[in-house]
Amino acid sequence: MDASEVEFLAEKETVTIIPNFSLDKIYLIGGDLGPFNPSLPVDVPVWLALNLKQRQKCRIVPPAWMDVEKLEEIRDLERKEDTFTPVPSPYYMELTKLLLNYASDNIPKADEIRTLVKDIWDTRIAKLRLSADSFISQLEAHAKLDNLTLMEINTIRTFLLDSLNCMYKLRSNLQPGSSKGQFKDF
Amino acid sequence: MMDALSDDGSDVNQDDTQEDVMTPAELIAKLEEAWLNEKFSPELQENKSEVVECVMEQLSHMEENLQRVKKGDAKASIHRMEIDRIRFVLSSYLRSRLQKIEKFFPHILEREKSRGEGAPSLLSPEEFAFAKEYYANTETYLKAVALKRMPPNLQTVDMLKAVPEPCLDSFVFLRVKERQENILVEPEADDQREYVVDLEEGSQHLMRYRTIAPLVSSGAVQLI
Amino acid sequence: MAPKQQGGRVVTQQTRSLLNISVNILGIQLLSTSFGYKMDTLSYLPVQPGVGMEENFLSLDDILLSHERLPIRTECSFPRLGFLEKSSDTKDITEGTKMELPLWLSKGLYEKKRRVLSVELPKIYKEGWRTVFNADPNVVDLHKMGPYYYGLGSQMLHFDSPENPEIAQTLLQTFIGRFRRNMDSSQNAYNEDTSALVERLDCLEKALFTSGQSGLNSFQSWEKGQASQLTASSLVLNYRKRKINDLQP
Repeated sequence: MDASEVEFLAEKETVTIIPNFSLDKIYLIGGDLGPFNPSLPVDVPVWLALNLKQRQKCRIVPPAWMDVEKLEEIRDLERKEDTFTPVPSPYYMELTKLLLNYASDNIPKADEIRTLVKDIWDTRIAKLRLSADSFISQLEAHAKLDNLTLMEINTIRTFLLDSLNCMYKLRSNLQPGSSKGQFKDF
Repeated sequence: MMDALSDDGSDVNQDDTQEDVMTPAELIAKLEEAWLNEKFSPELQENKSEVVECVMEQLSHMEENLQRVKKGDAKASIHRMEIDRIRFVLSSYLRSRLQKIEKFFPHILEREKSRGEGAPSLLSPEEFAFAKEYYANTETYLKAVALKRMPPNLQTVDMLKAVPEPCLDSFVFLRVKERQENILVEPEADDQREYVVDLEEGSQHLMRYRTIAPLVSSGAVQLI
Repeated sequence: MAPKQQGGRVVTQQTRSLLNISVNILGIQLLSTSFGYKMDTLSYLPVQPGVGMEENFLSLDDILLSHERLPIRTECSFPRLGFLEKSSDTKDITEGTKMELPLWLSKGLYEKKRRVLSVELPKIYKEGWRTVFNADPNVVDLHKMGPYYYGLGSQMLHFDSPENPEIAQTLLQTFIGRFRRNMDSSQNAYNEDTSALVERLDCLEKALFTSGQSGLNSFQSWEKGQASQLTASSLVLNYRKRKINDLQP
């Protein structure tokens, strides 16, 4: 999967905006939105929030977790624990990037948040590689991966799955007779 | 213009003649599920023609309504954005199916042939036509550029053997939607023993596709 | 011996190479479904190597692998085939001649029941080297020693040898032992010259390295916001090129 497709999925998450226009309820195929009234907070999907923001039709309220203190706590816990700790949002990386890129003026301490999220990401990716290596070297058949996000899985997906496939084939070499027929005539 | 757009939600619900009544939002969720499952599974999944058709219907219905709206309407642009997003998922879904058909065409057609009377088909009628045509074109092409110049006894290629089969032993990432008990995990090495795991709702796992393939088609797990 | 059948195998091998070339060209011509929203995807998916004991008929890597030469010893005489053996002037290839044959031909001629030829293990799979691999798989330059170390090793299991279980075990352990380094180098090397990182890798590892890199690159370009810039599909670009070529006589 391409990273931008993961971002596409993240854009379905909802975020609160404060519009500066009024509009009746909209009946989208995927659900109803609005009504929109100036200065009244309303929940919309991120894709719409960013579009409205770019047209200067709203202010985005950052999600509660997008806060320096909370993120510092998460980062410290992530560094302390050996396992993956719960993330504030299954799309924390994507949302951080999207909101900071298009609405940084609505988010206090944007630069600090960017650095913190990057730190959390790096710590988690290092853990991910460590577990991938032990998964391979222990010849595990099953792993539980709670709290891993789609974007994290995605960075290692092809490499890990291709490697596991190769390993599977090399391993089936160990069982003679498992290969079908000695030679194939085409 | 107001009516054209605002009666959408209720109006479409009644249109839905499917056996199980689904709201448009549920329908879109179904499509997205199918999209991700298709993207990540090593083999072709069952076709979801009804979902695809319903989504198409929704889209054209919405587009018809939008035609009646005058330019520059604020709501219309939001509707258009949503349509574009749904259309993206729809075409990405169909495209990933076509890619798999191209990759495994002899095996898929073979499965179609051996399918019992009344058993559901993997392919939609259009995909079936595509697969057959792809097979025929590949054969004709190989014959024209190479095979016809070979000695007579070597002019055929067994496509079933020449094209690799999908590897069901591939690993996949998945999220559990309905709790499952006693899933058997086969050992990877000779000194290991097989064991069972329970898949809790909401948990995520990395394991062999073969083990959980039935759960993917039943919708109990979602590939991620 | 059944010369006819073996003659057949020779031609089959050529057919296979030819077919593969055709399929690769076909990929460019079909342009069938994969265009449109383009993300680093080819319009044609090359067939992957079989890796284990089975080969994939249409995989380029497997075809190249099948041309690897193996040291063999003939166990019967091959009448009137002396012209194939450049080192002597005899009319026949006599029993007990030592020579090298490509893998595909050795596999074709080899039979368990009737001894036509015996295949010697290439030294990289012999006990001496197996000890090296078991000690530290990371020190070996698998490109120089291979480059189809895993593929050829798996293919060697087709020939009966008491050492087969150890060979298979070493192949697996070597792969596992080298995995970590391969993962780290492929996931960390962003935007730099990777030739030094891949030069000691076996073909299979190189392919894995590339898939690791594509994951990294896709993420990095997304993070930098490059993914949101639309670029022309390679198909469109190629189409333009082709048009220009058509114009040139």
